[in-house]
Amino acid sequence: MNDWSSYQLQDFIPFSVDIYLRLLERLNENFWPLQILTLALGIAALWLVARHHSRWLCLLLALIWAFVGYGFFIQHYAELNWAGGNIGYFFFTQSFLLLLVAFSGASVDKSIVKQHVLTNLSVVIGWAIGLAGLIALPLLSVMIGHTWTQAEIFGIHADPTAITSLGFVLILFSGWRLWLLALIPALWLLISALTWTVLGTSWSLVLFSVLATVLLGLLCKSVGGWMVKQDQFI
Amino acid sequence: MNNRFTRRQGLKLLGVGLAASMLPSWSLLAASNQNRLYKRYSSSDKTLPVIGLGTWRTFNVGSDPQLMNARAEVVKAFFELGGGMIDSSPMYGSAPDVMGHALNKLGTPDTLFSAEKVWSPAGGSAHQQVAELKSRWQLDYFDLVQVHNLTDWQEHLAALMKMKAEGRIGYVGITTSHGRRHQDFEQIMASEAIDFVQLSYSINQRAVENRLLPLAQEKGIAVIANRPFEGGRLIQDLKRRNTALPEWAEAECGCTSWAEFLLKFIVSHPAVTCAIPATTRVEHLRENMRAGLSPMPSASTREKMVRYIESL
Ligand SMILES: NC(=O)c1ccc[n+]([C@@H]2O[C@H](COP(=O)([O-])OP(=O)(O)OC[C@H]3O[C@@H](n4cnc5c(N)ncnc54)[C@H](OP(=O)(O)O)[C@@H]3O)[C@@H](O)[C@H]2O)c1
Repeated sequence: MNDWSSYQLQDFIPFSVDIYLRLLERLNENFWPLQILTLALGIAALWLVARHHSRWLCLLLALIWAFVGYGFFIQHYAELNWAGGNIGYFFFTQSFLLLLVAFSGASVDKSIVKQHVLTNLSVVIGWAIGLAGLIALPLLSVMIGHTWTQAEIFGIHADPTAITSLGFVLILFSGWRLWLLALIPALWLLISALTWTVLGTSWSLVLFSVLATVLLGLLCKSVGGWMVKQDQFI
Repeated sequence: MNNRFTRRQGLKLLGVGLAASMLPSWSLLAASNQNRLYKRYSSSDKTLPVIGLGTWRTFNVGSDPQLMNARAEVVKAFFELGGGMIDSSPMYGSAPDVMGHALNKLGTPDTLFSAEKVWSPAGGSAHQQVAELKSRWQLDYFDLVQVHNLTDWQEHLAALMKMKAEGRIGYVGITTSHGRRHQDFEQIMASEAIDFVQLSYSINQRAVENRLLPLAQEKGIAVIANRPFEGGRLIQDLKRRNTALPEWAEAECGCTSWAEFLLKFIVSHPAVTCAIPATTRVEHLRENMRAGLSPMPSASTREKMVRYIESL
């Protein structure tokens, strides 16, 4: 008999904070100087978002998610956590979903989503989250005590990849595409925040705040879109 | 394999074993010139040092050579100080591989008492899991294999009993922790012919004293105490707050550190065979290993120890 209810969160985090920080550092060591390329791709993604090139953005993010799924989870994280490989497959799934949206003719429905104040707010949140994932959070992590070599980088580490992607999809998408593309990154962010909680560091608070802001953004976007639709019927 | 522990430790254990056979089981036995304490397990004359080594979280370092070598240093110090039992699990990520790396580097001393587990989410039958774990530890025999947290225990226990009968593993056990599923645990202890149980026992968490420890004593089942420092929180709090040891601790049970105080409390329970604190640091290991030296607290000192901790 398996009694899963008897397990606690800490049973699934079989490493200590030092070991996890060393894992982040080893990724930086092992992939250097790929960080320069992934950051450049992050900046390219910013440009694609600004120009509303949603298809190209999806293609670029699909590449990044597949790489992180393999490089971060299957190659490194799975050594520490038996569940790590499975999370890698979720990252591959996200990559597939991004391809699906890219080829499903997805584009921003400007006529609807740009009008409502809530929609505009969600776009502002999207920009803030996207920039936070790409630039601000890696810097903040160093300010609160991680070393430069432990800084998490978009396209190499899972957290900034998930955060930046969430910001970008929040800006560009609405409706089912938005929720479809936000689900796996948000779930990973939750797992990561819980992991940092078990590891006993305040970094979890930062991630929970980001997650709450993302959820607010998702709601604003959906409610804003719904309200505009209602207005059209009146 | 080069091995400088083998001969000396083997002779020592032999002597200890002979002496132990003349003593009632569960009695404390002072052995070696350092007064290292051993306890008898199973109905035979075999003994184990009362302080072992856990590997949860601490030994799961992936394939990072820097950290793997640092953990090998911990294992080296453990054996130099007469350590015996090392406990791991397929649930502990790379810990079995890291142990394999350490044993390969240091040699496998005869004093090693290797304790592994089978666990359902790890995938594969008990037979497959044990085979895989042996290759990860780079050993061809485990002294003990336990059913981790009772997952699929009927199936796993039957397979382990068979492996024991075939001489492919030494002993069979079950584990629990954090006070989980004590009723099921008790039933299995009462009905199955197991050799070891592993459970959480610390100076603050003493629920097992009511039923499980007396039952183990009655049935002659060896007891491994896990989470002796409650995952580290207990000892780290005491150290961080600079809490003073009681004045009588050194005179009554030779405790000069909190590690000794907390561990001696556990291993001086007559039903407990050994405790398995985990650590990443050689200096902590040295502190913990000192808890395996006599003198041990008497029953009345043990009560005083509890009262002191409760008063803090
Ligand atoms: N269900 C099961 O089968 C089960 C469940 C739980 C545990 N276990 C076994 O039992 C073992 C022990 O339990 P545990 O690892 O959970 O907890 P534990 O041994 O109570 O505590 C380990 C923690 O204590 C710290 N520590 C050790 N010695 C110290 C010292 N002298 N001074 C200060 N801090 C010290 C270590 O940190 P440092 O690295 O800084 O020393 C480590 O973080 C496990 O490793 C595992 O093998 C089995």
